Amino acid sequence: MPSAYYLVLSFVLFLIGTAGVLLRRNALIVLMGIELQINGGNLALLAFARQLGDQKGHVFAFLVIALAAAEAAVGLAILVGLFRSRQTINLDEATLMKR
Amino acid sequence: MNPAHAADAAGYSAPTGDVILFAVMAAWVTFFALFTITRRNPVTAVMSLVATFFGLAAIYASLDAHFLAVLQVLVYAGAIMVLFIFVVMILNREEVAPLALRPTRILGVVAAAYLLYVFASVVGFGDKAAPTMAGPPVVAETYGTVAAIGGILFREYLYPFEAISLLLLVAIVGGVVVSRSHQKEVAALRAADYRKRVEELAEHDYPGTQEEPTATAGGHH
Repeated sequence: MPSAYYLVLSFVLFLIGTAGVLLRRNALIVLMGIELQINGGNLALLAFARQLGDQKGHVFAFLVIALAAAEAAVGLAILVGLFRSRQTINLDEATLMKR
Repeated sequence: MNPAHAADAAGYSAPTGDVILFAVMAAWVTFFALFTITRRNPVTAVMSLVATFFGLAAIYASLDAHFLAVLQVLVYAGAIMVLFIFVVMILNREEVAPLALRPTRILGVVAAAYLLYVFASVVGFGDKAAPTMAGPPVVAETYGTVAAIGGILFREYLYPFEAISLLLLVAIVGGVVVSRSHQKEVAALRAADYRKRVEELAEHDYPGTQEEPTATAGGHH
């Protein structure tokens, strides 16, 4: 398959993830949107690696997966902390920094 | 057959099986990604995210990224999704209004569609002369295997690899610290505040008698 197809698919994934981050109010779904964005980026890395015949893109994708794991762990911990202190995970209600 | 000649003849045309596999997996991934961000129930959203990641693993495998395909299933569909499921179990809250499409957001959808068009033209989608529309180059048998990636990772990228292990350690500690229950600290602070107020009231009502607690405290030793 030509790489352009993979690149377009990666961009579609990134767009869907961005829509999830921007449109949803549930912090859990927002975190899932971020995961979708990261995976879109990863797919682009692997598509370019295949296009150039260079495996360094795979190493970067590997590092990105580890980064995403760390991001998910910390993000979900923040979510649990937010829920403990405010009894909500609705992002519209977490406005402590606005005042 | 030399792929370069095929590309010269009438543009690159991938083998039919590849096209069908890619079309099916791309449709699968897109459908479940959309499903993820539109579901009201978080459990359904997490399950469709798992389906998305499995489809992505298949797409990685079709890009000869075998090691990354396995990692995708192990780390994403395995570890990260278990984490998500646990957090959903702790705080299972459904949204009242999951997705509000206001006029400005419809404008955003139009803008995103235009952005997609621009991106597709930039990467040469449908343009026969673009290098990204030519067939992928022939790579060695070992391309994307664990041995090949491991060789690069531990020879050229050892420091980033070690740095990422440090990052994971920091993330673990940070996760524990952030999500820890602060109820004991809060209760202790409240008790200290309450004690101080009682002492102030006692001082207000009976001035000069606050020496006694310190005296008894001293005698307590």
